[in-house]
Amino acid sequence: MPYKVQPGVIGCAIRPAIAARDRSLEEIIYDTTQQALADAGLTIDDIDGIIVGSNDQLDGRAISVMMASGAVGGVDRDILSTPSGSEHAFILGALRVATGQFQTQLVVAWSPTEASSIQEVERLGADPYFHRALPLDELSAHALQASVLEQKIPGVRDMADTVLAKNRRHGEIAYPGEHGQPGPARWPLAAGTTTRPVTGCVAMVLATSDFIAKRGLTDVAWVRGMGWATEPSFLGDRDLSAAPALAAAALQAYQEAGITDPMAQLDVVEVTDATPYAELLAYEALGLCARNDWAARVGDGTFAHDGKLPVNLSGGVQTFNPVFCTGLIRFAEIANQVRGRAGAHQHPNTNNGLAQAGSGFAMQYQAAIVLGREKEVRT
Amino acid sequence: MSTDRVGIIGIGQSRFTARRDDASYPDLVREAVVLAMNDAKLGFDDIEAVVYSLSPDAMVGIGNAERLGVEAVGARNKRFLRINTGGATGISSVAAAYYHIASGVCDVVLTAGADKVGECGDSQTVLNKIWDPTYERQLPLGTINMLGMSAIRYMDRYGMTEEDMARVTVKNRRQASLNPNAHLRKVVTIDEVLASRYIAWPIKLMDCCPQSSGGGALVLASERYIKQHNLDAVWITGLAHCSESYWLGDRMGKNPAADHADAFALGRSFQRAYKMAGITNPGEQVHVAELYAPFSNTEYHSIDAAGLAKPGESIAMLREGQFELGGRLPVNASGGTLCTNAIAVTAMIRVAEVALQVWGRAGGHQAKGARVGIASGNGGDHQFFGTMVIEA
Amino acid sequence: MELMTRQETWNITYNHALGETASWFYAQIRDHSKIYGRRCAATGRVLVPPRSFSDQTLEPTTEWVEVGPGGRIEAFTIVYEEFQNLPPPPYAFGYVLLDGADTALGGYFKGLDLTDPAKAAERLKMGTRVVTKFAEQRTGDVLDFWYEIA
Repeated sequence: MPYKVQPGVIGCAIRPAIAARDRSLEEIIYDTTQQALADAGLTIDDIDGIIVGSNDQLDGRAISVMMASGAVGGVDRDILSTPSGSEHAFILGALRVATGQFQTQLVVAWSPTEASSIQEVERLGADPYFHRALPLDELSAHALQASVLEQKIPGVRDMADTVLAKNRRHGEIAYPGEHGQPGPARWPLAAGTTTRPVTGCVAMVLATSDFIAKRGLTDVAWVRGMGWATEPSFLGDRDLSAAPALAAAALQAYQEAGITDPMAQLDVVEVTDATPYAELLAYEALGLCARNDWAARVGDGTFAHDGKLPVNLSGGVQTFNPVFCTGLIRFAEIANQVRGRAGAHQHPNTNNGLAQAGSGFAMQYQAAIVLGREKEVRT
Repeated sequence: MSTDRVGIIGIGQSRFTARRDDASYPDLVREAVVLAMNDAKLGFDDIEAVVYSLSPDAMVGIGNAERLGVEAVGARNKRFLRINTGGATGISSVAAAYYHIASGVCDVVLTAGADKVGECGDSQTVLNKIWDPTYERQLPLGTINMLGMSAIRYMDRYGMTEEDMARVTVKNRRQASLNPNAHLRKVVTIDEVLASRYIAWPIKLMDCCPQSSGGGALVLASERYIKQHNLDAVWITGLAHCSESYWLGDRMGKNPAADHADAFALGRSFQRAYKMAGITNPGEQVHVAELYAPFSNTEYHSIDAAGLAKPGESIAMLREGQFELGGRLPVNASGGTLCTNAIAVTAMIRVAEVALQVWGRAGGHQAKGARVGIASGNGGDHQFFGTMVIEA
Repeated sequence: MELMTRQETWNITYNHALGETASWFYAQIRDHSKIYGRRCAATGRVLVPPRSFSDQTLEPTTEWVEVGPGGRIEAFTIVYEEFQNLPPPPYAFGYVLLDGADTALGGYFKGLDLTDPAKAAERLKMGTRVVTKFAEQRTGDVLDFWYEIA
């Protein structure tokens, strides 16, 4: 562990699908923040820094942190925002706690569905020089990735279907009665391979080991390792059949956490299954399962809720897809598993968990964190 | 001697102009990155993480435009994230890079960005969209008239006149004429500023910053790395951010916690940064300041908030020449934001310019003997304030 | 060499949920030409426009309070420059502390000759009393009302 001070997650609030219109986005963010503080047993007076992750074009606000700042307690506090990804908000919050210059950090991200077309929002992410004129949204990028994988790996579609069914099954256990609306088809992705966007909000509270000890807080998910990396912008510059940035991120996180055999050392995993193909690629890049073994491990239920290493006990993005904050939700789900507060989908004996976040066109951004129940002892 | 500090080891900035049709957006980022990497005498393999500095996407017309800059900053398969705090983004990005190192995770971090404000057609069109659609978007708000209203309140409170505002422009333009990277370098007189047309009362054309294009980049490193590799550096010894209410109308009326005349949270932010740096009397201990002031009037409340003057006394002190290059405590020796505003990196350039000053590398606009400097950045609707203390 | 540009326009429409608090506020403006604020129970301050929570205390507000129609100017500006997608200049707008409120509400100032900037600015100076006027046809929006010098 390289950190000057080890950060721990002490509070989470996950609101993955908000249908009611009785609260404005600002009020949803306020509600979620208050819920996370209550989960941590703190008030806003205990918070000395805030990081938010949000996307201006999804929000319809040119600097979306402005309106949100008051709702998350930004007045008279040190607040920054990471519009590159909700997962980046957590990473920066954890880095700030790790300096020892802050006692606590609040991390909040959200993703509304108030834009007339989320596809059109995504298309604005294509550069105006060479790609904007193409119908390039995230579904197209996922489809391009799936088609490359189908050409390279015979039978991968069956594996993807099995992964999809697993996550749906997990979703029914985790959030009974809730399920994502099937997304449209885009070859080779059949209708329902992705899930339609919903409004969501998620908040987490981080603190230093000193603060946690002083307050006598239990149910802590300690940050053991973090990795994050990016692939280049143009899809044509990338090998879409692999996730090299995730491999780089996993290496960083495992080195920090001292993980040498992830299958043996991890108890639960959450990955950003925007498509089941993305989940398969994550198995490989995270060192859980080489692609030659995908068929066997997916077939024998290794990653199912009763398997050796459950992946996406929450049901993943297949169950709820609040686009921009799916990454931070993965982090919060694993924090809750490690804290023993995951509710209906709590996995027994969870000492160490890994959460992966991917975002952007065909998962351009990749991040992985390792959280553990035991605080590290410096030797 | 501690080995815990974070230093600045490389600085790159464009020669800012109105348009750069010869360069795409990522080309401009690259331009600054190459300058900073050469200055640091490092290769890209030495960079462990990149913090990307970019304010509203709409300003460059590309959603999550930082994704397009990944190759320009050499971040493929590396740690990479973007910061946006509006106009404060540049200094917030330096702060984020600092935390990467101060946490113990990284030794060498690059932060970079660029802006092409001229390409969005009219920045005030984009900047109207920063206001919330619930109550305020319907009004013709923009950053100019928002800060025009701050001027009205500052005039009411402290007696600032339009001539006092013009005096800031005259000072900063003269200083910009000595800085080859500044955008507006033409020296002007008080009469010329007063004769320029009203944009939003009491702000006139020459009280306003330009819309600039160009890039900025800084390389930061841990003290351990700097010493191991025998590198030259200046040090970030204090930093903080602080924010005010988003609601402009809450900064007025009965006993507001923060008055829109002033820059309350900028003051709070400076107090925190000073505490960290051990500065107890900024008026005496600080030698040079780069304070984010995109309109002439806002330089006064920024000087006040930095603790370089009692509230309102900055007006007389500036008139006496105390804040000129060659004066007691030069403010915006580079010409400042008033003469160059490529929004995504403007606040980073404040840090870069202070670093150059305390390093003794500011060239024609060097403040003699500067060893301790301060920088600030303001973002949102005069809402987010980042501050830094930099020492030789 | 020939340097080219590519023109792109962003075209997205948003339907922002106002929530219960702002919806009720706008309904009162539309149906009754009345402006209300919300009182913060922790401080007693009346927030206008109404917020469901105070960003200073982070406590929910608890009570509707009618404010105005009179008030005093807290800030103003007069815009003489044309900006894309904003109204043709000149126009004056700013913030008014309505009677009974603790915070100021934005709106246009109308019924003034703006041709001489210095003269117009003198008439709008801070502290000037104004009265709120309402449009005959109201849609439930901030633009349903404006301020005139009392």
